[in-house]
This record gives sequence, structure tokens and C-alpha cells, in this order.
Amino acid sequence: MRPFTYTRANNKEQALQAFTATSHYLGGGTNLVDLMKEDVERPDQLIDVNNLDYKKITSNDKGGLTLGAMLSNSETANNKEVRTNYPLLSMAMLSAATAQIRNMASNGGNLLQRTRCPYFFEVSMPCNKRDPGSGCGALNGMNALHAIFGYSDSCIATNPSDMCVALAAIGATVEVQQADGTSRMIEFTDFHRLPGDRPEKDTTLSQGELITAIHLPKAEFSDHYYYLKIRERSSYAFALISVAAGLQVESGVINKAGLAMGGVAHVPWKLTKAEEFLAGKKPTTENFEAAAELEMKDAKPFEANKWKVDMGKNAIVRALTQAFEREV
Amino acid sequence: MTKSINTSGVGSAINRVEGHLKVMGKAKYASEFPIENKVYGQGINSTIAKGEIVSIDTSEAEKLEGVLKVITYKNAEKLKTLEGVRPEIATDTIAPVLQSNKVHYFGQYVGLVVAETFEQAQYAASLVKFEYKKDPSAVIDFEKSRSKAYTPDNDSNYSRGNMDQGLAEADMVVEQTYNTPIEHHHPMELHAVIASWDNGKVTAYASQQIIEDAKIAISGTFQIPKKDVRVISPFVGGGFGSKLNLDRHVIMAVMASKMVDRPVQVTVTRTQMFTNTNMRQQNEQKMRVGAKKDGILTALSHETLSHTSTTQEFQEPCGMVSKMLYNVANNEVTYKLIPMNMQTPFAMRAPGEATGSFALESAMDEMAWKLKMDPIEFRIKNDTQTDLHEERPFSSRLLVECLRIGAEKFGWKDRKPEPRTNKKGNWLIGYGVSAASRNSPYQKTHSKVILELDEDKVFATIQMDATDIGTGSYTIIAQTASEYLKIPVEQVNVELGDSDFPITPGSGGSWGAASFCNGARAACENAIKTLKNNRNIAQDEEVAVSELLKKNQLTKFEAEGMAEPSAEFEKYSVFSFGANFSEVWVDKDTGMYRIKRMVNVASAGKILNPKTAYGQIIGGLTMGVGMVLAEQTRVEPNFGNFITRSFADYHVPVNLDLANIDVIFLPEEDKIANKMGIKGIGELGITSVAASVSNAIFNATGKRMRDLPITPEKLIEAGLEEGVTA
Repeated sequence: MRPFTYTRANNKEQALQAFTATSHYLGGGTNLVDLMKEDVERPDQLIDVNNLDYKKITSNDKGGLTLGAMLSNSETANNKEVRTNYPLLSMAMLSAATAQIRNMASNGGNLLQRTRCPYFFEVSMPCNKRDPGSGCGALNGMNALHAIFGYSDSCIATNPSDMCVALAAIGATVEVQQADGTSRMIEFTDFHRLPGDRPEKDTTLSQGELITAIHLPKAEFSDHYYYLKIRERSSYAFALISVAAGLQVESGVINKAGLAMGGVAHVPWKLTKAEEFLAGKKPTTENFEAAAELEMKDAKPFEANKWKVDMGKNAIVRALTQAFEREV
Repeated sequence: MTKSINTSGVGSAINRVEGHLKVMGKAKYASEFPIENKVYGQGINSTIAKGEIVSIDTSEAEKLEGVLKVITYKNAEKLKTLEGVRPEIATDTIAPVLQSNKVHYFGQYVGLVVAETFEQAQYAASLVKFEYKKDPSAVIDFEKSRSKAYTPDNDSNYSRGNMDQGLAEADMVVEQTYNTPIEHHHPMELHAVIASWDNGKVTAYASQQIIEDAKIAISGTFQIPKKDVRVISPFVGGGFGSKLNLDRHVIMAVMASKMVDRPVQVTVTRTQMFTNTNMRQQNEQKMRVGAKKDGILTALSHETLSHTSTTQEFQEPCGMVSKMLYNVANNEVTYKLIPMNMQTPFAMRAPGEATGSFALESAMDEMAWKLKMDPIEFRIKNDTQTDLHEERPFSSRLLVECLRIGAEKFGWKDRKPEPRTNKKGNWLIGYGVSAASRNSPYQKTHSKVILELDEDKVFATIQMDATDIGTGSYTIIAQTASEYLKIPVEQVNVELGDSDFPITPGSGGSWGAASFCNGARAACENAIKTLKNNRNIAQDEEVAVSELLKKNQLTKFEAEGMAEPSAEFEKYSVFSFGANFSEVWVDKDTGMYRIKRMVNVASAGKILNPKTAYGQIIGGLTMGVGMVLAEQTRVEPNFGNFITRSFADYHVPVNLDLANIDVIFLPEEDKIANKMGIKGIGELGITSVAASVSNAIFNATGKRMRDLPITPEKLIEAGLEEGVTA
């Protein structure tokens, strides 16, 4: 590993002040430190933000919960309020990684998790995300596990997070501390970005911005929810495809649907068309299938990942069915 | 017949005698020896699949604090090199390294940095700059390289009867191809060595399965006398075949020690364990099976296409099972190898059987389905007590019993023969069965026993260069000494893994238990025999060993012993047998599946310790589940590197993937196999597990899956809609 400076910040002012163009904030380190060992991430300085006071879960003025950015994934997923009111988020978070990693990983860090694309990890391979301008090895290489939506010629990688898929379905807001000391709010769907011609940039964060909190709206899917994660072993595997589904059903009609998909795009893929289609409709298999069809017809798979389209359809229908049929 | 005098002898389910050392962290593995003045070496790997190193810039690395040496082909010591075109790799093969600027595969060692600390060595290794001239003729794509396949010249091709005639006689023919990917051993303990060169004498604390062969390989590579090499390996954290032979990190460490005049530790990283410590290669197995309507087999052929490296030859004997498992007159087994720019493959757990049984036992299931016969009855119908390949009777063969008893225990009668008829909610439920066999070799083994009398108690120490690779060697050897000396196991001390001790064949090929225990038995028997002879005591007179020492007026006595296969052994074919049963639930929409239950019945001779034997079988089953569920190393088609680089990419089963496992050992003592009646067990467990799961998936879904691993995406691609596609 390359030598680097380690700085511990005790408050946000110290963190922001210490930040330089070649710094990284250090949360749980479960992704960043791994990537440093692989020589993929090469910061000159790590600013440890674990001492910052963003470790609470509080009620917010929208009637929802606010999750501190420095709280661990385990503490968040197992929090009673979260489990009761946002079981979809809890379920998604607990499907991720292993208990040990969840104990270390922070909420803010989870939002910044980098892709698992093998070309990104192997430094002798071309990768525009790791080394802008070097090309995309996956485009004409091994892309069975790559994106089917929203990719570009520069990058066809996917976002690996489970938590983010649930946050996209729920419709969260990310609060960040800006370098000038003020804060700003970012809609969750605006937080991650599609690769375009700048795949090295995963998010819309500006340099030095620090995630402080994730605001959840008033709970809407606490009765009908399901996080379906399709993978080849039962834990410690990234999703081949995942679907976060939340339904608000009243008198046999869907009031509101929250839907997002993982493993298919550079961002947690919000299924807006399906959400809009389902609103006001009955929760029937036919409607679920139509909603899935509506989303998946836009997929542009590669030869090697055509299976994601069929699996994706099945996954949307299954997640919606499980969400609806859940015994309240 | 030996009789146990207490609960600690052979056959008792005692805890591991070294278990407490392991849980307390006191069992020292290769990299844990506190060697004074030790420095660290970090290997550097090539980043092209074929070509030449044009230039090397070591200046940045050498400037770093703590860096002692950067070794490349330019300054490496000249070693003995491999001779001939692709010489066959064996467990004692030399391992020359850093001898030229030629690169033969992606990940080949091209340098070693030696530094005061591990961190310094790692960082410095990343700063050494290699410039390559890439050779575009690299062979990295199996599919596109079929035309390069050759027939290895190692007598493995075999035929009996007449295949064409056998197929002509058949009422039904199954002709299918089964694929298994590159797999890696990945024992928990990383390969590691601490080597020191002291005036031409080498000491290597090395994680190795076979001490004697490691010694031969070091002495051969450096062309120094064998007596000047000492290899120490008291605990090995798993091997699965990857530590059978000596890999090149050991040679680099010895060379570096000579160059910097300090002991050098080299630990192979998990990523390097994909490229530098063996692998199982990809196999394409084409099966042709012919049978009469009544289920009698008329023909069986097994053609394997695999790959080796461009520098050495290894060929996994996938067709071995097809030669001996069933009573079929017309039989053919062939092999072809493609030399590819990858590391040389080598034995991985149950080489031949693990992969060959997937092909054979899948094809047998396909035939049973075609014949509308119960797959168990079909197998029993074709059972044989003679090994038609070796033309010798089996020393013992209880395959039919394994199948019958397993069927009873598993509840096979509840199986619905028609696929897709057993459903529950979103689940399609299937039952699968497969037969297992594993060659049970037994080899010459020496050992020494040291008896010490303390008051009325005799304490015994057994020494041999055997290894315990997590299998329980310490325990079963202690139990053997306890049995034959008739002293409590607590009074037996076992010392293993040092080349100063008597020579054994080491751990591998499932020969360890039989060889080690018979070796220890021979030493114990010799001790007692000599002590009796010295005092003219009749051999059949029962005298406690403490009394014998007293009568000899000795407080300490040493004896050596040797055991080897008898002439009788050579007249028989010695195999362990088993049967696997699986119940699998497949999700009809997602392609995910759960293995709900497994039953394994093993007929593996005398069970020395049911606890460690059980551990061996469930370990094998787990690895078999890995084969079918997820394990595969993927090769990048443009660059030739493995894109699976860590446990995050190379998926082995997690606890949740394993369900209820029942293991049943049939009571057996095979006295033809050896005096103690022991057969091999370590590799029987993995054999045919993948087929039993795959056969269950067919029974559940009606889709025949012929490519391992069977992943959700493959099941989705196969289509999980209604219908049977056999």
C-alpha cells in the first residue's frame, strides 16, 4: 500500500479544513481501505470522520427519520424505529455483505461504495473509472454482470449497494456539508450519476463535501415491502439483480409504489415508470407484470447479460407480489 | 482383530489432540515461527499473458527505506531448469523461477522485493516497473483453441471391448457434454515460507503437504544435497492439493535468503493464490452411454478435453471413474490437452473423481430418465465386484449397500420420478442421487516411537514427517499408538511435519490416514516385539508395555517401523465407495436454489475416529456444494488474467448454503487394503456431490444443467417455464 497521512477530525470544521484534492474521508473503511490495498484508490491523506457526531437516528420535520451518516449499517438496520417504519430499508441493509462488514460500514460510506467491476479492481487493465482515458475493458470483455440501463461507451459498471436500492425506492434525501460550512440537500435520485463521459465520478458530490445525514420521508411502505436479492450464494455476495419494492395499499388499490432495482445500472435504478403505472391500480399479477414489462423493455443488454432482462422482469413481479402478500 | 482397551483407541470419537493448541493460537503455522532477523519478500506478478520483459526499472523501489534487494531474472541465481517440452508435473518437481525474461502467463512471478517489513516489501513491489513486449499469440481462450489440443503421452487413454459395437447393441444412447470451470483450492492458510540459507544448508518453514517431496524439490532446484535441506511444517491450514508440490515462492525465499544473508519470509497473497499455487483446469467431458431397455449398460465412453500450461503438463484423470465404476464391457477413455498461457494446473481435491463423477453420474441420471428406470436401481443393475479396468477384484465394494441404506435414510421412496411434479409455493422440489468412488492408495511409511517410563506410566512419542493438513492426522496417529501400545491416548505425544523425522508419503490422495497409522502401528509393534524378544517373552503373551520396559530395565526405548502395501494388496483394486443424496428447492422465477438436505453414505474401511472422519466428509460435501453452486475462476478473454481475484469474486459456500447433512459410515474393515483395514476418506466426500445436486435440479425443474457451476443466471437462461428438456 502507498504511504498516506492519517488525520483524525473531531468535528466537521476540522474535517472540512483538512480536506485537500487528494484526500478521502474515512468512515468504516470497508471499501476504501480494500481499494487502497489494491492500489485502485490512492489518497495522500485519509481524514477519519468516525469521531464526528453523526451517529444518531432522530425524527425529522417531514414526519420521517433522519439517519446519521456515521452510524454503522448494523446499528441502522437493527434500530427499532427503522425496523418498524422502514422495514424495506432494514431488509435491504441486512442482505448486504456480512455481519462483520455491516458492523464496520457507515451509512455515509455505503452511499459512496464503488463498483465491483473486475476491470476497475485490476490496475493493469484499462478502466475509465479508475484511470480516465484508459478505456473500458468490460465493453468488449467480460460483461455478464454489467449494466443493462444507462451505461455509456466509457463505462458499463454497476453500483453494488443494497442499501441505496432501498433508499431510492423510499425516496430519501442526502444532506451534505459543503466546504464553505453550509449544508445542502440532494434528492436521492440525484445523488448518484450515470457514467456519461466522466465515469470516474460516481456521485454529484463536489470536492470535499461531507455526507452528514440521510433523511427518510414519512414512512409509507411499512406494511407492504420486500427486498429481493438474487445471488448465487446465500450471503456475502453482491446482487445479480435486486429489487426494492414498497406498496401503499388502501381498499384494494395501490396508492403509491416505491420501486428501485440494483445490479442493472451505474446508479440504483429507480423504476419511475412502473411506480407511476401502478399508482391507482389494483395489486394484481397482471398489473405487476405490465409494470415490469414497462421498465424492462428499455433494457439494452449485452450478449452476455441478456439473462438480466428475463431475471429482472421476474424479480420485479416477485418483489411486488411478496410485498403485497406480506401478512400485516 | 485389535481390541481397544479404553475409549481413546482406534475407532473412538475423541476430540482432536491438538485442538486446544489451535483454539489458543499456539499451533504454529509456517509464517508464525519467530525467526530472528527475519525479513520479508513480496513476489511481483507479470501483467501480460505471453511475451518478454524488455526493461525493468527498480530505481524507485530501491530508494525506499527498508528495501534490501529487488530480485529479477537479471540478478537471480541460476537454477536447475525444466527439461523437455512440457515435462509432466509431479509432487517432487523442481520449481525454477526468475530464470529468464520470458513470460508464459498472466501472473507469473517476474520479481521479488526483499525489505525489512512486510509493508515496505509490498509497497516497493508496486513500484518496480516492467516494460513488456507482448506476444499476440498467447493462448488464453479455451473455446477458440480447440485445434491446438494434443493427446498426452502418458498411457491414460484406455479402451476395452468395442465402443461402436456396444453402442450398436444399445436400445438407448445418451451423448452429452459436461463442463467444469477452472477452480481453485483456496485453503484458509495462505501458502507461506520462512527460509534461511546458512552456508549451503537450507531450512524452510513451509506450508507443505508432503515434506519429503518439498525437500527433493528444493535440493533439485538448487542442486544441493538432500541432506542439506530441512523442511518443517508442523501445522498446515488446509491444502486440498495446492500444497502437494513445492511452489515457486519457496524457491524465491531460499534464493533471497542466500542473497541478503537473512531469513526471508514470503507469504503468497490471496490474489496470488489464483495464479501461483495451482488450480484445477477447465474440463469439457463428452460422455456416450449405451444401454439396453432393461437397463444393462452396453457402452460407456468418456472423452476429456482440458488444458495444461505451455511449460508443464498436467492431466486430470477425469475418465478414471468411467473405467471402473460400472459393469460395462465396452469402454473407452480418452484425453486431450490444450497448452494454454496459464499456470500449470495440478491436483485439486479428488483429482479425476470430483470432476469425472459429475459427468458420469449426470449421464447415468440422464440414461435412467430415458429408460424410465429408478436411478438407484439402474446403478445397482450395473454394479460389479470386479474392477474391469484393472482386471482385479475390488478388495471390498459396498456401493449397493451405500445406495440402499442411503435411499432408506433419505426417504427416496417419496421422490416423484416425473420432474416438476413436486411443488410448494414458488419452489420446485427435486431429489437427486449419485454414486461415488475414490481410489484408496496406500504407501510406504516409516515412523519412530520413543517410549519413556515414568513411575508406572509409559509415555510414547511418535515421530514421522507426516503432515496434518487439518484432517486430524495427529489425533488418529495418537489413537493408533494408544491402541497398539495399550496406553491411554493422553500418554501419547505425536510429532509431525519435520524432515528430520522418518519419511512418509505425506498428505494427499487420501492415502494419509492408512499410511500414517499403519506406519505408526509398525513402530509400536516393533517396539513391543523387540522388548519381548529381548527378555524371551512369547509374542502372544499379554504384558503391559510398562512391564516390558521394567523387565528390560529400561526407562527409555526407541523403535522404528515401516509399513507398505502387501503382495495381497497388489492383487486387488482398492477403492472407497459412497452415495450422495440431495433434496433441492429451486425458485421458479429467480433461479436461486436451496439444498435442503443431503445424505452421504460412505464405505471407507475402518473409521479411525468418527468425529474427524465426519469432518472430512462434510468438508468434502461442502466443497462439492461449492462446485455446483458457485465456484469458478473466470479468464479475461482479451488479456488472459483471472478476473476472480478474491473471496469476494470467487464464491465458496457460506453456512446458509448448507443444509441438514447426514453422514453414515458403513461398518467395514478392509484387511486387504492394509493391516488396520483403513481406506481413504478425504476425497470421497467431494466426489459426485455436484451430480447429486444437478440431478435433483433436473428432477425439480425438468432442465438438465451440464455446465458447472449451476448459477441463477444459467437457470434463467435454461428457462424455468413448464416442460422437460432432457
